[in-house]
Amino acid sequence: MLKKLNEVPLYMLAIFLLLFTGLPFLIMVSASFKTQMEFMSSPWSWPDKFSFENYRLLFESEFFRFFYNSVIVSVISVVAVIILAAMASYPLARMKFRLSRPLFILFLVGMMIPIHTTLIPIFLLTKNLGLYDSIWALPGPYIAFALPVSIVIFTQFLKELPKELEESAKMDGCGHFRLFWKILFPLLTPAVATVAIYNFIQIWNEFIFALVLTTSPENATLPLGLREFYGQFSVNVPGIMAALTLGSLPLLLIYLVAQEKIVKGIAAGSVKG
Amino acid sequence: MAGHAKQLTYEDNRHQESEKVYQSLEPGRKVKPKKPKRNGDVMVIFAFMAPALLIYGLYVVYSIGMTFYYSLYEWSGISNTMVFQGLQNYVTLMQDGIFWTSLQNNLLLVAASLLTQLPLGLIMALLLFSPVKGMRFFRSIYFMPFLMSTVAIGILFIYIYDGNFGIINQILGQLGLESWQRGWLGNEETAIWAVIATVCWQFAPFYMILFRAAIVGIPEDLYEAAEIDGASPRKKFLHITLPLLIPTIVTSAILSIIGSLKYFDLIFVMTDGGPNNSTELMATYMYEQTFTNFNMGYGSSISFTMFLIALIITVFILFFDQKRKGES
Amino acid sequence: MLNKKLWWITLIALIFIVGCQPTSGGSGEEDGSKTLTLWHIETGPSEKALLDAVKRFEDSHEGVNVEVVRQENDPYKTKLSVAMGGGTPPDVFHSWGGGWLEKFVDAGQVKDISSDIDTSAYLPSALTPATFDGKNYGAPLAMDIVPVWYNKDMFEKYGLEEPKTYEELLNIVKTLKENDIIPFSIANKSKWPGSFYYMYFAERIGGPELFSEAFNREGRGFDAEAYVKAGEKIQELVKMGAFPDGFNGMNFDTGQSRQLIYAEKAGMIIQGNWMLGTTRADMPAFEEKLGFFLFPSIEGGKGSRQDIVGGVSPVFSVAEKTEYPDLAAELVNELASKKTAQQLANEDGAISAVKGVEYKDQYVKKINEVLQEAEYLQTFYDQTLPPELAEVHLDTTQALFGLSMTPEEAAKKTEEKAKEVLEK
Repeated sequence: MLKKLNEVPLYMLAIFLLLFTGLPFLIMVSASFKTQMEFMSSPWSWPDKFSFENYRLLFESEFFRFFYNSVIVSVISVVAVIILAAMASYPLARMKFRLSRPLFILFLVGMMIPIHTTLIPIFLLTKNLGLYDSIWALPGPYIAFALPVSIVIFTQFLKELPKELEESAKMDGCGHFRLFWKILFPLLTPAVATVAIYNFIQIWNEFIFALVLTTSPENATLPLGLREFYGQFSVNVPGIMAALTLGSLPLLLIYLVAQEKIVKGIAAGSVKG
Repeated sequence: MAGHAKQLTYEDNRHQESEKVYQSLEPGRKVKPKKPKRNGDVMVIFAFMAPALLIYGLYVVYSIGMTFYYSLYEWSGISNTMVFQGLQNYVTLMQDGIFWTSLQNNLLLVAASLLTQLPLGLIMALLLFSPVKGMRFFRSIYFMPFLMSTVAIGILFIYIYDGNFGIINQILGQLGLESWQRGWLGNEETAIWAVIATVCWQFAPFYMILFRAAIVGIPEDLYEAAEIDGASPRKKFLHITLPLLIPTIVTSAILSIIGSLKYFDLIFVMTDGGPNNSTELMATYMYEQTFTNFNMGYGSSISFTMFLIALIITVFILFFDQKRKGES
Repeated sequence: MLNKKLWWITLIALIFIVGCQPTSGGSGEEDGSKTLTLWHIETGPSEKALLDAVKRFEDSHEGVNVEVVRQENDPYKTKLSVAMGGGTPPDVFHSWGGGWLEKFVDAGQVKDISSDIDTSAYLPSALTPATFDGKNYGAPLAMDIVPVWYNKDMFEKYGLEEPKTYEELLNIVKTLKENDIIPFSIANKSKWPGSFYYMYFAERIGGPELFSEAFNREGRGFDAEAYVKAGEKIQELVKMGAFPDGFNGMNFDTGQSRQLIYAEKAGMIIQGNWMLGTTRADMPAFEEKLGFFLFPSIEGGKGSRQDIVGGVSPVFSVAEKTEYPDLAAELVNELASKKTAQQLANEDGAISAVKGVEYKDQYVKKINEVLQEAEYLQTFYDQTLPPELAEVHLDTTQALFGLSMTPEEAAKKTEEKAKEVLEK
């Protein structure tokens, strides 16, 4: 829609935003190749000579164990959130019933409670469920606390879809489940991608539940395990940066895949719709 | 004006539909709420919502209930003795100066988030649809801030704002603005702005993908029709894109407001609420009370108050959003 | 299309997960062995010393396993609170003694180990922080003291000498200032570095009894004249420009204050003796320039140059709810043994809280001498005071440094909180 605008200022804006958003990431990566000493004396410059020491230490640590735990917890939680939230949004967005408004607000409400006061109740709950100090302690709260945002996004997207979809489906004798999974859900691809990215990032980086609900190092997720790189009194900044750089790569991958999906999903959707 | 006509029908459709939903939900309106036609519908609704409700109830609703329960007690969080004291914690809270400072900071953050994150997110999303070459690359980089862990962002920006080695001061120095140089996080007037800027920087990309997903959903033929009518890009934006984005904007606003009201992470890493409580937020204050001062009861009353504030604002927005839909 | 794929992914993920589920039952109760849990926050060589101690313990106790979990400093406090509140505390845990530990003692969560440890084996001043109502709740392993660190080369270059009086120190500040060098580096986002100044000024002016009088509510309070004067001294330094720009936002943990020292942009820093270990990790080449002196005395003040500020860390305590109280106490004895302390001193340059340790490292030897000659050890306020009062002390001190509170206001505010908290 901006085709007619003069393209020069457009490029300038695009490049300005590129620097604005991208530089800190670049600084993070460059810092990860420094020694603590070099970082202390010149935090901003490109590394004099690339030191892979930080990465070597990472690979020597339990990094892959943490990584594996994080992958399991995040994938299960995100898949479950997408399925549960999309399903719950269907009646909220496309069916008329007395409780739909209160139920929607009930789901919104979960976003508003600060996580830190829920720590003790959820700790007790996890203990009673017999899940304390295992990675299975984590998907429960992750899914539950991810539901509100996901439901808000899904509900809004579902409301936007044309009404005729249901009508024609009903005429074909299509039930609610088929209607939802076969017709509506594929059209939700942009929303699914958005919800997946958002939740994956939040869950991948989540720290406080992981801290409180697990204890043994073998059950630590990445954000918890990476604390290895903190000292008692001083932080090995380049070490942390190396860990965080490596930890963010899967997120980048997921983001790129999901963004491609949006484009493809739309193409597919427009044919059907 | 084929484009316009088409747009109107599309909009009308949407409104009729939402109108129906809301009518059925507003007890005040005269239209009698339709009951689900068949028992089957109840079953369907139940089947679709039960799994989510179950896990949500177990973890979230339960925790909210417990938070309210704790807020009625004087309790350290670590001992077995809890002393019931009714609403005393809330009375204390209303006279607590630091709480009011933190509420003020939260409102500042809400305003800043609404005014910068959403427009910035929208601009970036629109840019992704512009004819700029290599957009796939831009798209990946634009998203970086949201992808980085808060710890990394916190540490990097601590250094960026540093008074002696920081990038900001170096840039100001090169522009000849030495008098503007300062330790941004150490100064009571600038610290809150420095942190807010960082928060907005981190979250703008989230709104970018939200808007992108919504723009992608706008039927292409609306633009084609407008093009035939010779509408300028500006007109197309104002008459097609923007109106159709309003539901997304409302959603984004709600997410942004709630997120800002309970915001915690970067403040905790960057300033810990200081200097002199100038960057204290409700959530960091709650954390301090709960885990540093061992006032679980009082901390819970802060949490529950935050919860109520967010709830009131959200219901307010939803109410106006509904009214807007009713009018247009 | 998409949903089918999703189901497949879920299914595969589930199979994967079930297949990979760890088979061990975890705590290993089944074969009659006993497991103790230990939470600590040590890193590097000190962690090694603890692990060796645990090994010795396991070797001498057949069938007893110790699950050692290292926690990170800041989140550790939150984690321990939740674990205690939730009724699943570790059997043996790290603390710093003082007001923080006392909260857990008051909550009935910490075991009295007076009869389990040999109190005569420890320096008396190291035992005090974990002693409440005459009962002992923790065994100390190492101690920290806080001197003034400085750049020896820089002092030589400008013809400066280690000061004995505050007048001399002020002259150093002026000289450095004239040469465009920041006199003191400080990262006061963390708040405790500023507290060092306040404690030293207050002690030097009001004498060693000042704090205990205020803390025990007998005699002078936190609004005593000495405290007000301490605040004035701090603000005097701030107004002289003795500190870097924006120091109230700088973070010690991420190295901002040390950076100024290493880059020789700043000449002095008041920090604990961990400064030495940190320098060796950050910038080993700088070690030879690093010197230290004691905070000078102030003319007309009651405190002596030999009185030092310091603290104890780590202290090991036993949870009241432990299943094996005797074993846990024995583990504490092994952790806080002379052997562990000696290893810690040799390899991490720590000062022992256990008597009879010999020092090889020249620096540590010197620091230890200071400790031995000390007439009075002022334990860190923020560790000694109950947490909510400590928080007020730290906040008001930070505000003093930021010139956003007058010394009278700060003293008054602290005293008000002290009345509320300490006179309950």
